[in-house]
Parts: sequence; structure tokens; C-alpha cells
Amino acid sequence: MAVCISIIGKDNAPLYLTTADMDKELELQYRVHAALDVVEEKCQPISKATPESKELYLGMLYSTETHKIYGFVTNTKIKFVIVVDSGNIALRENEVRAMFRNLHMLYTDAVCNPFYAPGEPLASKKFDRAVQKIMGGNA
Amino acid sequence: MNVKPIITYSGAGPLFRSLEAQILNAIPLDTCEWRRTFHRPTKQVRLEAQAQPFNVNVLEKYKKGEWSILEHPILHIFVTECNDLDTYKANAHEEIKNWLKQLTAFGISDWMILLVETLDVRKAKNLLPRTTVLDKIRQDFATKNDDRCISVLNPAKFEQKSAESFRCLVQRIRFLMLASYNRNIAKYEELIRSRREKRNHEGWDFRQYFFMQEDLALVFEKLELHTEALIQYDELDAMFSQFITNSGFGEKQKWLECFKQPLCSFHGICLNRRDKFEIRKKIKDSPVSILEFRNYLFERQAHLLQQNNETPEIARRLLNFLFSTLREIELIKLDTPEGALSCWEFVCALEVLQTCEQAMEPNEVICFQHCAPIWNLAKDKLYELGKLCGLLPGFTPTSEQLHIVVQLSAGIGDSPLEQSQFLNPTPQISEQRRNRSPNRRPKKSATDQLKEALGSNQAFEKLYLELAELAISTYKHVSRTRSARLVGLDLGNFYCALNEPHKAVGFFTDLLRELKAENWHTLSSQTLLELANCYRKMGDSLAYTKTCSSISCCQELEMLVRSFYFDEFLKSVKTMTTTLSAQPSMENANYCVLEDHFRICDINVLNAEPIIQDDIVLVQLKLESLYPREVVAESIQLSYEMHVAPLTGEVTTPPSMLVVSGTKDGKLTKAPTASPLKESRLKMSLRLDYKQNKMLDCASVACDLPKVKQPVRRTSSTKRKLSPSVQSDFTNFVAVENIAIQPGTNIIELKSKATRVGTWDFKQMRISISHLEFFSEHLPFRVPPFVITTKPAEAVLNFKNLIAGIEQPVRLTVSGGSFIFPADAKITLKCSKNLRIRMARPKENTQPLSDKDGVLQESTTDTTSNSIVQDDSTFSSVLQVSLHNFKSFEEREIPLEVLTDLPGRKISKHLEHYVTLTCPWSRNELQIAIDFQPALEAQCRLHTCGTQKFLHVVMKGLEANLYLTEAKVKCDVAGVRLMDLNPPTQSCVQIYKGLTVSYLYEIQVEPLKAEIELPAVIKVHFITKYSTVENPQLLRNYGCAFDLVDYTTLFKVQTQLEPNELCRLRSVCNLNLKITKVHENPYVDLMYEVLSDQNLWAVCGRSAGVVSMKDVNSHSISLDVMPLSTGFLPMPNIRLSRYTAGGKTKTDTHSKVTPFPQGQVYNSTKSMQIHVIASSNGEQ
Repeated sequence: MAVCISIIGKDNAPLYLTTADMDKELELQYRVHAALDVVEEKCQPISKATPESKELYLGMLYSTETHKIYGFVTNTKIKFVIVVDSGNIALRENEVRAMFRNLHMLYTDAVCNPFYAPGEPLASKKFDRAVQKIMGGNA
Repeated sequence: MNVKPIITYSGAGPLFRSLEAQILNAIPLDTCEWRRTFHRPTKQVRLEAQAQPFNVNVLEKYKKGEWSILEHPILHIFVTECNDLDTYKANAHEEIKNWLKQLTAFGISDWMILLVETLDVRKAKNLLPRTTVLDKIRQDFATKNDDRCISVLNPAKFEQKSAESFRCLVQRIRFLMLASYNRNIAKYEELIRSRREKRNHEGWDFRQYFFMQEDLALVFEKLELHTEALIQYDELDAMFSQFITNSGFGEKQKWLECFKQPLCSFHGICLNRRDKFEIRKKIKDSPVSILEFRNYLFERQAHLLQQNNETPEIARRLLNFLFSTLREIELIKLDTPEGALSCWEFVCALEVLQTCEQAMEPNEVICFQHCAPIWNLAKDKLYELGKLCGLLPGFTPTSEQLHIVVQLSAGIGDSPLEQSQFLNPTPQISEQRRNRSPNRRPKKSATDQLKEALGSNQAFEKLYLELAELAISTYKHVSRTRSARLVGLDLGNFYCALNEPHKAVGFFTDLLRELKAENWHTLSSQTLLELANCYRKMGDSLAYTKTCSSISCCQELEMLVRSFYFDEFLKSVKTMTTTLSAQPSMENANYCVLEDHFRICDINVLNAEPIIQDDIVLVQLKLESLYPREVVAESIQLSYEMHVAPLTGEVTTPPSMLVVSGTKDGKLTKAPTASPLKESRLKMSLRLDYKQNKMLDCASVACDLPKVKQPVRRTSSTKRKLSPSVQSDFTNFVAVENIAIQPGTNIIELKSKATRVGTWDFKQMRISISHLEFFSEHLPFRVPPFVITTKPAEAVLNFKNLIAGIEQPVRLTVSGGSFIFPADAKITLKCSKNLRIRMARPKENTQPLSDKDGVLQESTTDTTSNSIVQDDSTFSSVLQVSLHNFKSFEEREIPLEVLTDLPGRKISKHLEHYVTLTCPWSRNELQIAIDFQPALEAQCRLHTCGTQKFLHVVMKGLEANLYLTEAKVKCDVAGVRLMDLNPPTQSCVQIYKGLTVSYLYEIQVEPLKAEIELPAVIKVHFITKYSTVENPQLLRNYGCAFDLVDYTTLFKVQTQLEPNELCRLRSVCNLNLKITKVHENPYVDLMYEVLSDQNLWAVCGRSAGVVSMKDVNSHSISLDVMPLSTGFLPMPNIRLSRYTAGGKTKTDTHSKVTPFPQGQVYNSTKSMQIHVIASSNGEQ
């Protein structure tokens, strides 16, 4: 389903990043990093014109010829970025939303772990397994 | 393409044709309000029209449902100039009837009957006919909608008069046209819907449907409803996409084959076509490629957006358009020549960018936001093409690649020549454009630009650099810095390929800074690798060394890579010695960020607080090295700076009552009492907001602070530096030199001499490795400040409850602090009056000889005697304590003894004394208060027995345990003698707290002495010796003086009751009173009074009287008293007073009675009791 799933902390440092294809990891990391520009743009208070600012899903941040990059930001300014292969025409936006929702839940569970210090990279194996599942599309 | 609404005419054709031009020209002159159905907003519309003769064939299609709204006549007009009723009835009526019948047969109700009046003057003179032709027509055909019949004066004949009626006509035509549109559009939409429903039916053709719906769009466009026109196109777009997508899932549509034309040409979109429907015709006539169809659709959408002033939206849609088209081509498995689609994308991108550039305002960020990725895309596509055609730096096109170029250039097509004028409509706009980007030459069309770039390596390079720079600057303009840096990465790589690494370095460093600021370690280490590559090519050995060092510390990289660069680093560092001086490198170029290579884990001051000046400060540093192997640092330094205490205002002065404090130079210092935590805290306050009903509405925490200081700062605005900029003051530092730092955690001790007094904060760390200086940005945690101080010297007297009268131990404690003592330093102690002091006698068994301590006592005469008895003479009021060989920071305790005299009289409070200290470190004298409690106290009482007088001395023990011996009294008055009545066996009495000891003496006054000779008051001295229980041999004197009055008895009073034995209740008894003079005295007149309890005794007759003792020695008086109660009653008391009769002198008319003091009158029968029995007759 997804090519890359990443979680970025509120100071824009990556907390977690996984890619389906290790060879493309570097390129996808660059993509995810650049996506933060759009996240910032979308989270600017100027665009508060939309009254339901509680919407965490940011929609598609940008697209390239090969990839579509979707964003999601939690209330604590943790950003989730999911990169999807744009060749995957069967993928509906609702499925992307669902992926974000699941990811959000996983993240919440992971940070609830008392041994996790907020702001540190997420190294939990359980979390990783669950995210891999989402990426594979069987979450 | 002519898309003007069609109006048909019937009837008087030639007449209408004569008016046609006038009417058609008049229609667009004014707008008409269009009231639309289904609550759609009303709109002012400017209409155009074309006229055709009425044709039934067109309507046939309409009936069959194969009509197009574009070709469908919107209004049918019947024209007649029949002016009189008769002709009307004869011809016109029938004609109109047939015409209407035809229309109704096709279900058309959009008609109008126009009666052109050619009124002549002659007829106008007549009275108006009862019914006109118009009325008749209305009557016949338009009873319900008479507005469809209108008469107009023939404007050809009546130019003046016709104006009004003509205006009415045009207005009516407009109105009816719009009404017709309402009806027809609804109908047409219905038709489209039904057609769409059949889309999966056999034989359904998308192209037919497309044109059908596009007709509606064109009508909307004509009616200036651009948004609604756009909706039609968007629907078509989505529908087409869906078809293609479905075909990807195996759904086969026959008509789709038409779009599978091979892509031999791949023209880009053109947003400024002169003939906008050029491709439409092509699509209609012949099968087109999907690319052409898509181009047309996008061009139409873009055109409508432009019309609607939404040019940025074109840019927004472009990428999606490009990408989805690419996907569609892929889905329908269309073979494309290599590079063709890149060309197409490139041209499309540039075309849109050019359009946007013309349209947008410089401040309009939205447009730039969409344009930035397009610039980037154009750059990427150009790069792809360059790669394909061997145009990249360092390559030369092979013949095959040249062939590709030729093919691509052909496929791109030519830019329409006439466009060039169209592009720059006014010179003013182009002027503006040039201002915005001064480097741009007059625009070449996108295709021309691409062709030129494909033509040669130089042109390609130039265009690529230009596009990349534009992409970067546009990204920066919309503050998408990360994206800009990413483009910078591509550009940097391109420069590297161009073998211009010095140009690439800037882009890489920018990217590195951005990535490091946000801790994207994987990416930043990649960038470091790129940088290292650049620096190596440039031969910048210093930068190369630094980068190698950084790379070897990147934990994200593989160990192999890190080791390699570590070796490079070591190699480079060695060679740097020679090259460094030769290079005109920047100042501080050899500075590195410490945090990239080491991690400061802990800083710990090992010394005990506070650190004394000139001590060695020891700091334990826990340092984690990220190098893969051991490095040797020349030095590690940790600077510290004076702690800046926040202005809290609360300065607590240490209690200095018993403390002498002073520094070397005699200045007083106060210990800084700053709490380090306070400065970094924000002032937070609780805020509670209440509703009107006093319920809590909202609770919040507010932070009030002056605006000067921004407490919370965005992290991204404080970019992490690539090289340390701040170098703190390294005048004070702890350091270690030449130390090997192992990978991982190292524990290193740093030290330095504490030279300056103060509170210090650690500031920065510097590690020097060869020529590189690693500076820390800031310490990662807060290290509490440490204090370097001088310790003041002080002297204190320590004692517990002191008792007066016996020697008491006192300890003098001297602590040297940092004061340097001279060899013969002394402390002088001066005592207040009655207080004496001496060195304490060392006890043999517990304490060594005092001389060992170097203590000298000035007044000591002989200390070798082992006798415990020590004379009090060794006490003196001034004592000098020598501080022999006293060193700094030494503490010495010197035992002393103090003695003060017992107070002679009774005192309730303690005794206050002072000792004044003169210390070598201070010019000021220090006064120390010492309080004593008395050991015992004495009181005296005088007792009388007849003529005898006794002195009773009471000693009360208070604090100490003492022996009292040799008590005696002394009186210096002649004629008065004191007889010691105490038993001689008890000469030594022990007294302690709570115990009283009494001594008794009789006072004997020589009777010969007259009262006048003896003083009224005599002084008696009581003296006793006392010693402590521990040391009974050492006797001290205690003396106390008493003042005695009334030490002689003057009169004696005797009373006797008669009958003595039998005293009955309520029987009168005789009270005999006898007053005797015992001692010669001057008092003559005496007054006696019987004082008795009135419940017990009743005095019968006088109870008082005056007697004269002149020349007599005694008086007897008899009085009658009666007991009032039975039992043992006290004898009635007699009070004797001196009586001075009044009237003897003029001033004193009244008599005066003065009672004698107790000691002068002795009542010998005082306290005698009388037994009263009940009366014999038993009355009670």
C-alpha cells in the first residue's frame, strides 16, 4: 500500500521512518523531509479560515511523477507522512485516511509506554511490526 | 468557431433581413438579467445572436433527441407587416397558425410574433381603430403569453419615433432568449444525463458524448458562466480518467482504441492559441492521440480558469494533469518514443509557468506556491532529457543520441509563429516581467527553449542552471526552504559534474545546515559525504579534514565508511601543518562543532564546596567520543566565566554577632546567595475566569513578562551552525593536556588553580586535536556554578551557663581561614570590671602541657606545681593568647577560665560582663558579651524576744555546690555587739541549689547608751568563706552588708484577761493592759487601741486611749471586753502608737497618731488564746 511511513517529531526531527524498498530509502527520506515544508504551510494559522481546525488529516501534501505524499499532524504537532506509489490507482483517499488513523493509534500506544521518552526515536519492535503491517496494507 | 445563439425567422423574410443587422447589433449592447431556475443565482448576461431562416430539418433532430444545444435555434420569430385587420384575416392569420402548429409539433414554445408597423401619417390622423392587428394576433394566438407578440415601428421608416419601440423589441428578444435557454438547458442536461447512463452500452462513443456535453459548456461559456462551463469539462475529465482506469482493470471500450494513436508527435499544451477550436475540429474529424485530447481538455480548462481570473489554479492543476496523463498512457499501454513524454511535460510546464508569470502579482504567494514545484519538474525533465541525449556535463552525444534529439525536436512540433505577438500584448507588461527577473531575456516559447537546449551541451547546461536557480528562488520565496535545499542538492551535484565543486559547496552546506538543524542524521551524513568529495576535488585540505572528521563520527554510516574517512582524517591532519599556513583561509576556519564529534555527558566539580582560593579545581568530565578509533587531543579545556546572578533583590546577611570575617586585604565579603534556578524560570500566574453566576468558566496559566525578552522561540529559527561562531572567554579554564580519547565514554579529570574569587559558571569546551579546534555550542545541561572563595579568619568564645563566684571554663576557638598569620600573632582579651580571666589549667591525665600548644600566659608565675590548688591571683583582667606558629586554615581551641565576684546583694537578673578581643586580622575590637548567674545569695531578718534582738542570716544556694565556712558578722557601731549563737561544730556547711542555710546572732546594745547616741540604722557585715566541693582548699570570700533598723525594743505591752480561768460567753471580762518602757526613748504620749475581731470580742466602753509616759516607766489600763463566741479566742490585739496632741502649735491643729514599727514595741502576750466557755445559764 504505502512505500514509506514516517513519524516526525514536533521539532521536525524524524522519530521513525521505514520504507518498503531499502534502495529508495534515501530518496524517500528527502521527499519526506521536503514534505515538511507543505506541512508547515498547511498548519499556518493564516489558513485557519477553515473552522474545523480539528481535522488532523492534511490531505495530499504534494505529488511527484512516481509518488504521492500525504500528511497528517496530531494535536501535539507530531507529523505523520505517508508516501504512496502514484501508480497505485486502486488506492482511495479514504484508505490513506484509514492508514493515518491506524498509525495514530499505534503511535499513541507506543508513546504511552512509560519507558519511552518523548522526543526520542521510536525503536519499539512491536511498533515497527505493526507499522510494517500498515505499509503492507493488512492492518 | 461560431457559437452565437441562433434566432430563426419566418413570415416576411425580406423585411426581417432589412432589420436583421440592426437587431443583432443591438442585442449585445446591453446586459439582461437572467433569472435562472432551481434557485441558481441571477446573472447579468450580455447576449449575442445570429439569425437564420426557419428550417424544419433542424427541428427534426431536436425531436429525435439528437440535437445539440449549440445548433439548436433558441428563438423563433414570425415577422409580419400586416397593418389592417382584413389582410390579417385573409393571409397572415393562416400563416401564423401554420407556423405555430409546426413549432408545437416539435414541442417548441420559444417563439415570438413581430408586427412591424409601417404607419403612415394619413392614417394616424384618424381615430384609433377599435382593434388593432396586434390585439387581434394576441387574441388569436397568445391569450396566455401576450408578451410574445410585439409590435415595432419600422425603424427604417421612422428613425425618430421607432427608437422607443425598438428598444422594447430588443429587450424582449433578450428576455425571451434567456427564458428559452432556461428551458433548453434543462432539457439538454436531461439529455446528457440519459446519454451518460448508457455509457456502458454497446456502441456508445465517448467522443460523441464529449462533444455533446462540451456544447453545453460552450453555451455556458458564451453566457459567461465560466465556472459552470468548467464543471462540464471537469466532469468530462473525470469521466475519461475513470474509463481509462477501468480499462486498466480489464474493461474494454471500443471507442478507446481511437485514442491509442501512436505518439509520433507530442506537442505540449498551448495556452495562447489564436484558434481555440483547432484541435476540437481535429478530434471531431479524425482520431487523435490521447495526448492531443488531454492537451485540448486542459487548454479548455485553463482558458476558462483564465477567464475566471483563476490563473494560479492552472498551475495547481498542472502537475496532476501531467501525472495522471502519464499514468493513463501507461494504462492503455501506449508505446512512446523515449524522452517524448519528458519533452511534453517540459513544454507544458514552461507554458503554464509563462502564463502564470504574466498573470500573477509579485505578492501573490499562492501562485508561486504552485509554480515552485513546476519549475522543479521542468528542471528534472530537462535533466532526464539531457541524460538521454548525452548532454550532461562530461558527456558528448553519440550519433544515436543525436538521432534521438532530431526525433524529439520533430515531435515537439513548432511553436506557432503568430504567438509571439500574442505573448506580449503590451510592452508594459513585458517591462514589468523583466523587472521581476532581470536576467530573463524576451521570452522564447517553451518549445523553442527546449529545442535550443537539446541542441548543444552549453545551451542545455545554461537552461538547466537557470531552471534550477528559478526553482530554488521560487521555493525560497514561498518559504519552502527544505524543498529549495533539495533542489540545491541536485544543483550541487550538477556543479560537481561540471567539475565546479566550489559552486556546489554552498548548496551542500545549506542543505547540511537545514538537515542538521532538524536532526535528520541519515541525510546529513550523506550530504557530508558529498561535501567531502567536493573539498577533496577543490584541494581544500582544512575543510576536507574537518568533513572527514565529521563523517567518521556519523553513527548512521557504516563502519567501513567511517573508518575510511577516519584514516583520511588522520592522514590529512598530518599533512595540514605544511598546507595550512600557505592557504589564505578564513579566520577561525579550523573551528569545528564539538557536538558533532563528542558528547559531553557530565561535568562534575570534585572539590568540596566552597573551593578556597589558590586551591586546585578538579573537574570530572564524562565525554563520549564518536570517533571510530582513539584520537589524541592536545588539550581539553573547559572555560568558566563569572556567574551572573539574577537581580532578585533579596540579600541575606549572614549572622555576624560572634564572627569576625575578613579577607586578606581586610575587606568584608558576603557570600553570594543567588539561587541559580530562579533566573531561568518564567513568571507564571494562575488565571481564573468566572461566569456571571460566579461559576468557574475557565482556568488558565498565564505568563506575564516584558516584551523585551521572548521566552519561547521557534526552534527552526535558531539554526544550528556548521561552524561554531561563539567563542567564549578562555582566560579561566580547567584543562588537561595530551590525552588519548577512546571511542565511547571517557572519564577525564580537568584541573586548574583557582586563582580568582567568585562564583563561576562553566561556559564552553574546547578540544584541540592537531590544528583543529572543537568548540562546543553550549553545554547540553546546566552545571551548577561553583564558588571560589577566601575563608575569613574568626575567633569565637564558647561557653555554657556561667556561674559567678567560681572559676568557669570558656573556650576560645580560633579558625585561621585564609589569613596568613605572623609567627608571633596574639589575641588580646580584655575583661570588663570584676571579671578576670586566665588560661585553663591543664588536667594532668587528659591534656598535655599547655606549653606544647604554644600558649603563653603572661601572668602565670609558676605552672610547674602539680598542686590542684591554684591561687585566684593567676586571674587577671587582661590576657594575651599567643597564636604561635598558627597556619592558615588551622583551627585551634584554647581553654580559658573566667572568674567574677559574687554580688554582695541579692539580684534577680544575671550579671553582665564583656570580653573584648583584639585579633591580628582585624583592626576592630570585638566585644563578646558574657552573662553570669550568682552562685548563692544572702538575706537577713531581725527577730525580737522581749528585750532581746536576734539577727537571722539566710544563705540560699542557687547554682553551685559549695562549702561555706567561717561565717561571721561584724558591726562597727560602738555599743552594739553581735553574739554568735551558731554551734561551733557546724563551721563547714555544704550548700547547693534549693538549700538554705541560716545563721543566728544576738544583737546586744549597751544599755548605757541613750537612744540619741545610737544611730537609727546600723550596718552589719556578714562575711563567709566558700569553696567549691571539688576544691575545698581554695577559699573565697563572700561578703554581704545589711542595714538594720529598730534594733532596740522601746516598749513592752502586756495584756491580761480577768477572770482568767472562767471566761464565759457574753459575760463582761476585764482586760488589763500594761505598757512598760523598756528602753529610754523620747516618746512621751502614747495611744493604745484595742484591735479585735468584732465577731469575737466586743469592747465595752472606750477601746482606745492616750497615756503619757512622762516620768513613769509603766502604765496599767483596764478595759471591759465581752467574748461573743465560745472556744479558744485570740487575745484582743493592742496597737501602740505615738501620739502628738493637736493645738499646741498654730500650724498643727489636729492630733497625730503614728504607729510604732514592729521592732520597737514588744507585745509579750501576742497570740495568747482565751478559752471561752458557754454561759452557765445555757441561754443559747
